[in-house]
Amino acid sequence: MAEAPLLELRGITKRFPGVLANDDVSFDLRHGEVHALLGENGAGKSTLMNILYGLYTPDEGAILLNGKEIDVGSTKASIEHGIGMVHQHFMLIPVMTVAENIVLATEPRKAGIALDYTAARKRVRDLSDRYGLAVDPDAKIERITVGQQQRVEILKALYRGAEILILDEPTAVLTPQEARELFEIIRSLQEQGKSIIFISHKLNEVLEIADRITVLRRGKVVDTIPAEGATEPGLAQMMVGREVLLRVDKKPSQAGSPLLQVEDLHVFDDRGLEAVRGLSLEVHAGEIVGLAGVDANGQSELIDAIAGLRAVASGTVRLDGRDVTGDSAREMIDEGLGHIPEDRHRRGLVLPFSLAENLALHAYRKAPESRRGLLQLSTISRRAKRLLQEFDVRGGTPDTPAFALSGGNQQKVVLAREIDADPKVLIAAQPTRGLDVGAIEFVHRRLVEQRDAGRAVFLISLELEEILSLSDRILVIYEGQIVREFPPTASEEEIGLAMTGGGREEAA
Amino acid sequence: MSDELKEEAFEQAPPPGEIPSPQQHFASRFSGLTGAIGPLVTVVLAFLISGIAILAIGKDPLKVYRAFWNGTGLNFFYHFGSYSIRIPFGTTHVWFWWDTASISAQNLQQTLLTTTPIILTALALALPFRAGMFNIGGQGQYWVGSIITVWVGESFIGLNGPVHIVLCLVVGTLGGAAWAGLAGILKAKWGVHEVISTIMLNWIAIWTSSWLLGQGGPLQGSQKSIPVSNSIADAAKLPIFWGPKLLQGLSIGIFIAVAMLFVYWLLINRSTLGYEIRAVGFNPDAARYGGMSVARNYFLAMAIAGAFAGLAGAIDILGWRYNLGQLDVQNQAGQIGFIGLAAALLGRNTALGVGAASLLFGALLTGTSGRQLDQSIFRPDLAGDLTTIIQGLVVLFVGLNLGAVAVWWRRKLRRVAA
Amino acid sequence: MTALTARFERVEWFAPRMIGVYGIVLGALAFWLALPPLVSRSSALPVLLGILAIAAGIWSFSRGEHRVGGGAIVAGILGIALALMALQSSTGHLKTVVVWSALFAAMLRYATPLIFAAIGGLYCERSGVVNIALEGMLLSGAFFGLWAAVWAHGWAGNAAWIVGLVGAALAGMAMAAIHAVWAIHFKVDQVVSGTAINFLALGITGYLFIDKYGDSGTPGDITNYGIPDIHLGFISGIPFFGAIFGQLNLMIWLSFLLVISTWFFVFRTPYGLRLRAVGEHPRAADTVGISVYKVRYIAVIGSGAIAAMGGAYLSLGFVHSFNEGMTQGIGFIGLASVVFGKWRPFPTWGATLLFGFSSALADRLPNAYGNQWGTLFQALPYALTLIAVAGVVGRSIAPAASGRPYVKQ
Repeated sequence: MAEAPLLELRGITKRFPGVLANDDVSFDLRHGEVHALLGENGAGKSTLMNILYGLYTPDEGAILLNGKEIDVGSTKASIEHGIGMVHQHFMLIPVMTVAENIVLATEPRKAGIALDYTAARKRVRDLSDRYGLAVDPDAKIERITVGQQQRVEILKALYRGAEILILDEPTAVLTPQEARELFEIIRSLQEQGKSIIFISHKLNEVLEIADRITVLRRGKVVDTIPAEGATEPGLAQMMVGREVLLRVDKKPSQAGSPLLQVEDLHVFDDRGLEAVRGLSLEVHAGEIVGLAGVDANGQSELIDAIAGLRAVASGTVRLDGRDVTGDSAREMIDEGLGHIPEDRHRRGLVLPFSLAENLALHAYRKAPESRRGLLQLSTISRRAKRLLQEFDVRGGTPDTPAFALSGGNQQKVVLAREIDADPKVLIAAQPTRGLDVGAIEFVHRRLVEQRDAGRAVFLISLELEEILSLSDRILVIYEGQIVREFPPTASEEEIGLAMTGGGREEAA
Repeated sequence: MSDELKEEAFEQAPPPGEIPSPQQHFASRFSGLTGAIGPLVTVVLAFLISGIAILAIGKDPLKVYRAFWNGTGLNFFYHFGSYSIRIPFGTTHVWFWWDTASISAQNLQQTLLTTTPIILTALALALPFRAGMFNIGGQGQYWVGSIITVWVGESFIGLNGPVHIVLCLVVGTLGGAAWAGLAGILKAKWGVHEVISTIMLNWIAIWTSSWLLGQGGPLQGSQKSIPVSNSIADAAKLPIFWGPKLLQGLSIGIFIAVAMLFVYWLLINRSTLGYEIRAVGFNPDAARYGGMSVARNYFLAMAIAGAFAGLAGAIDILGWRYNLGQLDVQNQAGQIGFIGLAAALLGRNTALGVGAASLLFGALLTGTSGRQLDQSIFRPDLAGDLTTIIQGLVVLFVGLNLGAVAVWWRRKLRRVAA
Repeated sequence: MTALTARFERVEWFAPRMIGVYGIVLGALAFWLALPPLVSRSSALPVLLGILAIAAGIWSFSRGEHRVGGGAIVAGILGIALALMALQSSTGHLKTVVVWSALFAAMLRYATPLIFAAIGGLYCERSGVVNIALEGMLLSGAFFGLWAAVWAHGWAGNAAWIVGLVGAALAGMAMAAIHAVWAIHFKVDQVVSGTAINFLALGITGYLFIDKYGDSGTPGDITNYGIPDIHLGFISGIPFFGAIFGQLNLMIWLSFLLVISTWFFVFRTPYGLRLRAVGEHPRAADTVGISVYKVRYIAVIGSGAIAAMGGAYLSLGFVHSFNEGMTQGIGFIGLASVVFGKWRPFPTWGATLLFGFSSALADRLPNAYGNQWGTLFQALPYALTLIAVAGVVGRSIAPAASGRPYVKQ
């Protein structure tokens, strides 16, 4: 049944300085369908949708709604046209309530000047009942779960009359259980006549939820196919353009003595709540232990505590047998701990510093990089040259400031620094976040190298694929505790289930 | 007309990098000539705008500026020739290219005398700025250094000259360091914003000093009718190497100040402490991750800054004030601490820049002072306020991230063309 | 109202936190007992209360309430110390210094410029822009308000103060506009641009002052057409309250109105919600169609107008004259009040009253202790501000986006 598409994007081209983000992209959305936009990091999916939502203007191309060309020069315009977007990083104000966030900018008034809170609450409840998205209008955003926050974001769009909903990587922050709930919500919205664009890079989800799939690669559309009949390997190949090794080739591990031992660790988070609740684990020399888990289950606090960046409430941490509990970050580094932080911009690098200065971030205090309090610039520079070459860092010389490099090269610098320090234990937290395939392969290879050289590698990642492909042992963290251990031959389903607490029902 | 949000999502190719933060702009990687363009443009703009203001009140800006210039003594170098001059600290006469006893020579002495504390108070702003802090407390730290120096200078009479001088300088420096260190601790331990704390400390210093020097105050001198302290011992006075001793000649303090410029450069660019301070200023999280103690660096940066400012106070006392009066402390005009602030920003917190900018402001202050300025062309007290306006304009324009403005301008043009 | 009573119901009256609060109260009481009107001359009672305060503080501290507990210990020690000091002074002296009604009246007078500056700063900060330039805006308001009033005196007679207020507001807005463009469009370091404004204000007002009034000072007859006091006949009969509220300047009453209306605006209207959104998470506000730039511009320029009117009160309603740099750091005390009051109107108001009280005290203390101490006591408000800011600041309470320029490509 040939049906005129509800929404059409024709020939969209968008250039940023140095990169062609969207290259003559054409895309259409039929009424009442779930259309997935698939592609790797950097393929141009978010850019395309940001254009649709009015956050960017396209350099070329047109957008048609119901056959008529529309102008989405601002978010206001696109909202008026019935387009709503739920971003990957939520646009919610933590200190305000659910109701306040939802009615913001279109608030119901009392006597013309005052904010009618009762009416706002009522409207939120009505919407919530109508679409089956349970939320408490008076709860503060900072106190509700991520899954609930996402529901608030969806309600925000629906409140403004969205008929077309764009969901940008919605499951990135959800547990598998919450993701399933989300899919039910999506189906229910579909039944109510909404049309949905689902952005993702996860093949299995896309196959489960979408009616049609459009694959983007390097800013261009590869193809648009119906979900029926599509396969994961087929989609992967379209995404990347070549045979993708979904698993890393590696020798079996030869585990030695335990180099990192954590016993009954208790750590509090910034809000004073217990984030790590009696956690114990071991990482041996010559093995990679992968920590799987949904975001915000205590991983960050665990890493911080081991690295000396956060206070340990109770429990012990041992490095190569030595008790290092409560040691400062500096002492941990001296003891032989390497740490690839999960946020290279915030923690891993000082962006305005040169590459040489960044590479010296741990070594600057001691000889030969410094003598009697004075830096030995030639030594620092020589070391930098050597490391940049060894780790194939492109985009700069030792004097180039770090902010001028691409994400992948920046991560290589971080890796170079940590690995060159010859640590006994290497913590790798989200080491491939935001990197393209080439850089990911590089990082994975290096981690395996370290493991083969007899180091203990502790990998923490939100990407289950990465964990499965690299780890010799897999631990699952849930609500601050290790709940299960798996061999690398385990299935994603088993691990996913453990990540939610092993079948425990989540409170709504 | 679309407004675009900056997204972090496109990682495909080298990102253009975020617009450098103001910190990055000031602790600039630009050095040498390219780095001087911004400040030069700023100065020109500032003088241009005040020139317009002078025009608005019915005077000829060129005439006014020339009157300022004449007082600065920078035209000392014009009169190149062959003169017979007296060498410093001696009585023999030698041949020299410039006449070191001329009027413009005396003006130049004044300029350099004024430049000395400006260099130091500018460093007092520059160092913490590298660590991400804004130390507006230079003035208070200067007074604390001055007060302590006056006290030590007028006591301990009979001490050997060099010993007394060194003692005074040391305690003045330590006093300033302690005063700033207090603000540093407040920031390090309790996160108190240093702008508020240093300004409060400024006023506390002013009023406490006023009381100390006032009628019946502990530091009031033997002449009980005026609120002025005793003069410091003769032995404690800094040797004057240029100009008549009795007419406020130039002391060797200028050399100390220039030496401190070098110390600053060494500290920031070549020492491990400087590395830490810069790291903390750019990215405290990464600094912590690298093992540094952010709190310790905040404290040290403030303490060293206070040391510079306190030293400025000490040098001024030992170099030309020789005593301190209540009116000196309460006089709002020409407050060295704030001029140093403008000089540091103009000089982009680099040693060379601070030196040049301090000289500029020293010249401006001297040229507009009562002694040098021709009253018929411009009233000196008005000129003092004009200097403050120029100060404000300089800080206003130097704060402009010229890079960001250029980018904004380019984008505007692109949008018009598109 | 229900929110308020709900708040009271949630209080646990014997929790460690409340014990700490009781301790602070006890400490204050210890000192107060030694003062008029009670003038207890025995040291026993104040010392006893002070010890109880310290005990409460230790109990609270050991149970985790470090700030409140520490505060109680400090209050107890201070209470004993100050009470003993008061005992040293004669009752007569004390009675001249501590005339509570006069002190409170003076407190209101000193606090008013602070309130205007602080509320102006509150609006600005709530939108996410740091305003170091409150001092400059106050000063501009003081000068240009006075100048406008003097100019208008010829044709407006005794109503010239209205023109003065308008002139002050305009001057403040002009200064604020510069800060706004620099901070919002040019994305300059907001502390630097604020400092520049302060210099400019100092220089411009100083220059114009010397040019126009330098030799003779400002006209002496400003008391005739300055901002009027409001004489409330029916109140001035009442003891104690009459002395405080019977003859207050118009601006003081307006300041009360300002605080209340600010609370209503920021927390009960849609515009206030949007203001707060812009200050907390500008990108979120942008995505629902709020113009972040517009909101910030309005907030900053508005803050200039409000702060400047506080300055106008200073020159036209309080001292009836102008002098170079007369604001003497009050703008920064106003900023500190906002921080101390956690960016909420009523606690900020409380902070300004506290600092106003210290200024009032500093004015009267020389009467008891001799004039040479007068200069030292001038440092009291600043020292108090420093202590307050050090003891109370919580880092996470500022509007989350405060000080960070919003980047729109």
